[in-house]
Amino acid sequence: MKKTRATKWVWLTGMVVMIGIVMAPLFMMVKYSISDRSSVVTGGAVIPLWPYHPTLEQFRALAAMDRFAEAALTSLEIALLSVVISLIIGTPAAYALVRHRFPGALVLATFLISVRFFPDIVSVIPIVETFTTVGLVNSVAGVAMAHSLLSIPYVIFIAMGVFEAIPRDLDEQAQVLGASKAYSFIRVILPVALPGLAAASIYVFLLSWDEFIFAYFLLIFGDLSTLPVLLQKILSWTPQHNLLAAISVMLSIPVILFTFIVQKYMQTGATAGAIK
Amino acid sequence: MHYLFQGIRKNLFAILILTPAFLYLAGFLLIILFKVTALALTEAGPEGAIFPSAVNFITLAGNPEFREALIRTVWFTLIGTPLELFTGIAAAFLVVEEFRGRGIIRSVLVLPLAVPAIVTAIILYILFDYPGGHINDIITGRHSFFPFQVLSYPINWRGSGFFALMVSLFGKVWRDMPISMLIILAGLQAINRDQLEAAATLGATALQRFMRITLPLLAPAIATVLVLRSIELWKEFIFPFILAGSYPLLSTLIERAYHEWRNPREASAIALILLLLIILSTVLIFYTLKWLRKRLVRI
Repeated sequence: MKKTRATKWVWLTGMVVMIGIVMAPLFMMVKYSISDRSSVVTGGAVIPLWPYHPTLEQFRALAAMDRFAEAALTSLEIALLSVVISLIIGTPAAYALVRHRFPGALVLATFLISVRFFPDIVSVIPIVETFTTVGLVNSVAGVAMAHSLLSIPYVIFIAMGVFEAIPRDLDEQAQVLGASKAYSFIRVILPVALPGLAAASIYVFLLSWDEFIFAYFLLIFGDLSTLPVLLQKILSWTPQHNLLAAISVMLSIPVILFTFIVQKYMQTGATAGAIK
Repeated sequence: MHYLFQGIRKNLFAILILTPAFLYLAGFLLIILFKVTALALTEAGPEGAIFPSAVNFITLAGNPEFREALIRTVWFTLIGTPLELFTGIAAAFLVVEEFRGRGIIRSVLVLPLAVPAIVTAIILYILFDYPGGHINDIITGRHSFFPFQVLSYPINWRGSGFFALMVSLFGKVWRDMPISMLIILAGLQAINRDQLEAAATLGATALQRFMRITLPLLAPAIATVLVLRSIELWKEFIFPFILAGSYPLLSTLIERAYHEWRNPREASAIALILLLLIILSTVLIFYTLKWLRKRLVRI
């Protein structure tokens, strides 16, 4: 369709405004994280749009801060454990739902995936109460189990897509050649599905890495913190804004990086050339 | 009976590898539903617990804090849902046509999704600081690039319920914009361009094309955005928790009831009310949209 001059200008203005609104908070986060003290504590003067003396001292302070290192490690442990739990439980289920069209499979798949829509703020108190009685509060395992509850539906959803893209002939050929169902799943299908499952595991990792509600309710009264919980705890000491921003940057970098990696991964054909 | 056994034997492998996921999700769901209902209906009497009892709901109904939170939550969702839809539609229309650098621009517009919600909340906490945050500096005309004084005094953003929730809403909409954009974009790209060109050739104005062709064909995508976003807004926790701590919504009131009032029973009662509200509003939106679509398509 032909574009008039006016619509072009409207489009350009909209684009500039949209990109400005999207980028401004991100720019501010980076700006504050490299600000020196005099650019943050101004004593009533205007806060500069670019720090007077850009510095990495906040990141150096974080490297020397035990609580930060502990929280980062806890976050990492919880995220990795969630990946392990939800992939081990979710992947086989997705395979069964895609390949064995027994009656009710679609209903079951819908049910399993829609558990994700159950509001987390409603489920958090029953879960904390239950975990308290079995001693899972204040533990890496407890938070990882709660995060797996959120991520297993995602894994099933993504893995179902991955398995659907793998031609059925592959299973059948393996089984004609004498492989059992379990053998053909583990030794033939899983290796082909690996790139897609890698994307799923990155997804689970990120979900756990920046999850706040369950981590907060399960860890609030203990000494363990994940990075998001540490951010909230530090907030109550009214810290300098550049420290808050530096932690925010450290928390966001893996997420921003991995999001772009997953985007690329999803586009490469996982099954190209699998069938001879 | 014989057939049932045969069916189980034939699908034994499938059943075996499905069981862990089913037990994990259904088990947790059962525990959650059972526990939240049991807690909400229990009264902590002086001589042990009484069950069932409606006392938690009656106490809440008489609690002004709960009533205020309920009202705040309703208008938070009522304002937020259309806002999420409009930003999604606006962003989608910006990138739907081919232009140079479209891939990069689209990646930039998806960026908010990659920023953790808690980080977005913290950034807004810093920007909307009082008295000396960036936003206050700008509206009081203290920056040279924006020399207009909108207000002569800084606004205490976190000290007023209206502003605190508006800032929370801004953060929520900012972070969710890419999701709405991607859903609407997928809907837009599925529309056959020949139809639009044909209408243009026949003399339809841009507005007519949008109202009569694009909008009805976009209805499923819009419905998806409205349903998903309204659920998200009802239960939104992080932004109001960080940015509007003194003005709780139902979700943040659950946290307060649990940690400050140390009353898991009332917290569960609020959670149950929130769950019912979410189900009700989803059903309502679903049927309203169905009815609307029928009227739109009849034309």
